[in-house]
Amino acid sequence: MSETVNTTAAPAAEQAAPAPKPKRPKAKSLLMIGEQTNALFESARLAKERGEKVGWSASIFPQEIAETLGIVVLYPENHTAGVAARHQADPFLQECEGPLGYSNDLCAYAKLNLAYTAVLNGESDVELPDGGKMVKPDFLLLTNNICNQLTKWYENLARQLNIPVFFIDTCYNPMDYVTETRVRYVRAQIDQLIKDLCAFTGKTWDEERFKEVMRVSQLNSYLWERANNLMDHKPAPIGGFELFNYMSAMVCNRGKDSTTAIMRQLNAEMEQHIKEGTSTFPVEEEYRVSWDGIACWPYLSHNLRTLKKYGVNMVASSYGKAWAIKYDDLDGMARAYCFASTNGDNATTMMGRRMEALKRMDCEGTIYHVNRSCKVMDCQMMEVQRQLSAMAGVPFTSFDGDQADYRNYSEAQFETRIQGLVEVMKQNKEAKKNG
Amino acid sequence: MFTFGIDIGSTSSKVAILKDGTELVAHYVVPLGTGTIGPKEAREYVFKETGLTQEDMVYTVVTGYGRMNCEYADEQISELSCHAKGIHYLMPEIRTIVDIGGQDAKALKISDKGQLLAFQMNDKCAAGTGRFLDVMAKVLNVDINELGPLSEKSQHPVSISNTCTVFAESEVISQLSSNVPIEDIAAGIHNSVAKRVAGMALRLGRPEAMAMSGGVALNIGVVHAMEREMGCPVHVHPLCQSAGAIGAAVFAWEKYCKKEGKNV
Amino acid sequence: MADLQQSIARLQAACDNPRAQLDYYLSQGKKVVGCFAPWAPEELVHASGMIPMGMWGGHTELKMAKSYLPAFACSIMQANMEFGLQGVYKGMSAVIIPAICDTLRCMTQNWRFGIKSIPAIAIVYPQNRSNPASVDYLISEYETVLTQLYTITGQMMNEDALHETIEIYNEHNKVMREFAAVANDHLDVITPQVRHTVFKSAFFFEKSEHTAIVKDLIEGLKARPAYNWTGKKVVLTGIMCEPVQVLDILAENNVAVVGDDLVQESQQFRADTPEKGGGGLKRLALQWNERYGCSLIHELGKPRGGQLAKQCEETGADGVIICMVKFCDPEEYDQPWLEKDLRNAGHPCVSIEIDQQNASFEQIRTRVQTFCESL
Repeated sequence: MSETVNTTAAPAAEQAAPAPKPKRPKAKSLLMIGEQTNALFESARLAKERGEKVGWSASIFPQEIAETLGIVVLYPENHTAGVAARHQADPFLQECEGPLGYSNDLCAYAKLNLAYTAVLNGESDVELPDGGKMVKPDFLLLTNNICNQLTKWYENLARQLNIPVFFIDTCYNPMDYVTETRVRYVRAQIDQLIKDLCAFTGKTWDEERFKEVMRVSQLNSYLWERANNLMDHKPAPIGGFELFNYMSAMVCNRGKDSTTAIMRQLNAEMEQHIKEGTSTFPVEEEYRVSWDGIACWPYLSHNLRTLKKYGVNMVASSYGKAWAIKYDDLDGMARAYCFASTNGDNATTMMGRRMEALKRMDCEGTIYHVNRSCKVMDCQMMEVQRQLSAMAGVPFTSFDGDQADYRNYSEAQFETRIQGLVEVMKQNKEAKKNG
Repeated sequence: MFTFGIDIGSTSSKVAILKDGTELVAHYVVPLGTGTIGPKEAREYVFKETGLTQEDMVYTVVTGYGRMNCEYADEQISELSCHAKGIHYLMPEIRTIVDIGGQDAKALKISDKGQLLAFQMNDKCAAGTGRFLDVMAKVLNVDINELGPLSEKSQHPVSISNTCTVFAESEVISQLSSNVPIEDIAAGIHNSVAKRVAGMALRLGRPEAMAMSGGVALNIGVVHAMEREMGCPVHVHPLCQSAGAIGAAVFAWEKYCKKEGKNV
Repeated sequence: MADLQQSIARLQAACDNPRAQLDYYLSQGKKVVGCFAPWAPEELVHASGMIPMGMWGGHTELKMAKSYLPAFACSIMQANMEFGLQGVYKGMSAVIIPAICDTLRCMTQNWRFGIKSIPAIAIVYPQNRSNPASVDYLISEYETVLTQLYTITGQMMNEDALHETIEIYNEHNKVMREFAAVANDHLDVITPQVRHTVFKSAFFFEKSEHTAIVKDLIEGLKARPAYNWTGKKVVLTGIMCEPVQVLDILAENNVAVVGDDLVQESQQFRADTPEKGGGGLKRLALQWNERYGCSLIHELGKPRGGQLAKQCEETGADGVIICMVKFCDPEEYDQPWLEKDLRNAGHPCVSIEIDQQNASFEQIRTRVQTFCESL
């Protein structure tokens, strides 16, 4: 049985990240992720064959819309994370910064994707390691809740491919809540977008289907949050880095039943570990930390190896509640998507979310990934970290990395910084023990 | 009729004397640049060798970093334009030039008349310049001139991925302490430089062939790495270091002819 | 002639020492509100009886700002933060910060916690201008700004005051556009540096005062015979062209600026507030929809290259100098398209790096000189 599952999941390199060399068989939930990812790309290929329009979407665009309309949508951010994790980024980076003339300063997801797109568009001839399964889009779905670079990136894609952008401006929230004025603006955009998208794709909006998609999406958000919360057990039932692998389900397939199955499976696996007092974390959990920022995809193995050396398990991240989106109508959805991304929140809200995670998971320290690709995080994190550290009373360290550009990292630096953090955490632990 | 070109760089001074705009009668390089006795030494040398004087020069063009303070020059022209002109003189078939100096790297696209059409420069970052190689040669404890031949022996070049010179240095040290063969590291270093420079050069398009100049062009390892990255043959002219001065002398001739109403 | 030079000197003094301008207004009993680059609703400050002043960074040594911003944040924000932390803006009642790019989003929070003595008011401009709901949304953002201004300073506006302010600003726009046109006949006097001064100084004066000075300046220019400029002509594009040494390098190379598309300069004055269409706030909100060709304001089609090509043809410019503020990612996305479209339209262009903290200009000198040599 597992043989069959293994075979179909064999090109499992497609999904988000290779976990460290498993000394045990891969968890079923992970295999399901691989299958789901393949299924998504396959459905895009088939849709294209049928002459249907396929889109590319920003990662925190309301997926409920495409799901309700039955349109296949792929996610460049997720795709490029995979390219980076599989160490296939180099030719795309060279192409983007070379012949395409882009600055090195840009977000590496954008750099990779713009080069990949140039290949799809016949302008570049870099070999596509995945054979072009990130099919050429007929339209783009854009929100700017994650950041403003997305807007510019998609402007460029639209011009390059001569395709429309369906855009929801999800305004930044300087207040601790989403103002009604924002909700009205976003709602109006959603209404218009649904109309325009239907006209463009020939699909129709089905209110019953929407209700079902909302139900599934919220169930999945609940299950995802539940799984993340299970990390509050000691020892945590899994190595926290593994949770990054499930993000593709939450980003690309949030409204699907297949994600419900995966999340249920993940919860079950974690509950099983808790019951048996085991964990997938390969050594004894000496220290529990939170990780701030996205994974440093090109160097996951090195990160893990280094953390494992000191028994440091990442039990919390800012992504646990990233899709804690509760609503039951379009207005609610409008509000939810303004608030969904931690980057669209003011510092107080950001800190609130992180404090909650730090406390709940009983973290002893924080590792902050200064992700060169991500100015929207890096340009305020120093202040946020200072305040958080003071509030939570835990030490933190940072390291220079990148979500996809493998050239922005130093193994020596990471090791030194982690060692430093461990030393402080150790002191704190001993002080606590000695009263 | 003689024209004089002088290229006062940051670390070296080069001069060239052209006869009737076509015959290179003298050229010289002194490894001392602007603000030193380098320019004076270079100039005096060629005059002594040819028996000519400043008065024999119908037009003088100065270029390079130190071009702003040259009292005996008739005109100053930027080193990019002079370089383009000079390489064109030396290699008339070439349309793409990459110059990797000690402090910067440039890519030039030129017309069939040696006119500069477009250029790209890296003038802020040490990576992709001679400076990067100097730092790495020191770490490897080899002479900078040995780097090239050393890398040619490599069977399995390592990847030096970091574009920050400081971090790359730490990567090299880490490779050394893992007993990676030194020639593989050297090759990796050259690949890193070539990648960075090729990226910049490819913004000008993919050439059929190209020339390299600048101090780093003497490093055979970098030249071969550039060939791989650019996907075309790379030619290095033995006089390429003097290209700026030669180009300045050619410009001097053109300016002189224009002034005199002659045809070039 | 004396009037002309006097006018220029006055504007230059304001650019050289904006602090003196700030002190002047404070001594007049006026309140001053800082307005972060690139866009701020100055009119709301003005209509509330206060003086808006632009904050466009400057040359300084970055020390305290390093605790808030990493090395790869743009120099305008670095400098604003540094100045703020060092107390250079002391006396301002508040600052308005538009969260229009990723770094600016963060600045609303950095300033909020770092410089508590000058409260920060965030404004989030709508980017989906194709949707009519964006207008009402922007009106509500304006009202939020007004409420915060009132809470902080005690100053309120009324409809008449806003109406008058809009007229003043539209008049100012008109005069600045006239200056740009007239300047091209007097490039002997309006060097790149003087041209920049006339535009930039607008950030340091009450608008009608600035209008009066520029009007005098224009009269002074018109009194002179038209000057036949024989050197090269360029259009500048980008966020801004600073510091002054860069402009001097243009002059050195016998290059005149005959038009610009800079956010700091002409972009501020090329979109008028409609005179009809509702109350003041509504019309101000509609003005936002008139803005175009700014890398920070969402637009489809990458139109800047085409717009610049047209501008070159209209002004007779020989080429375009693309002023790339270092680490400005919105600009970096536009750059390859800009260059491509300009080249395809047959207009030479070159990019130069703009960094207010720059101490050495040799590289820019070489690039500009080479560009001119190739024209």
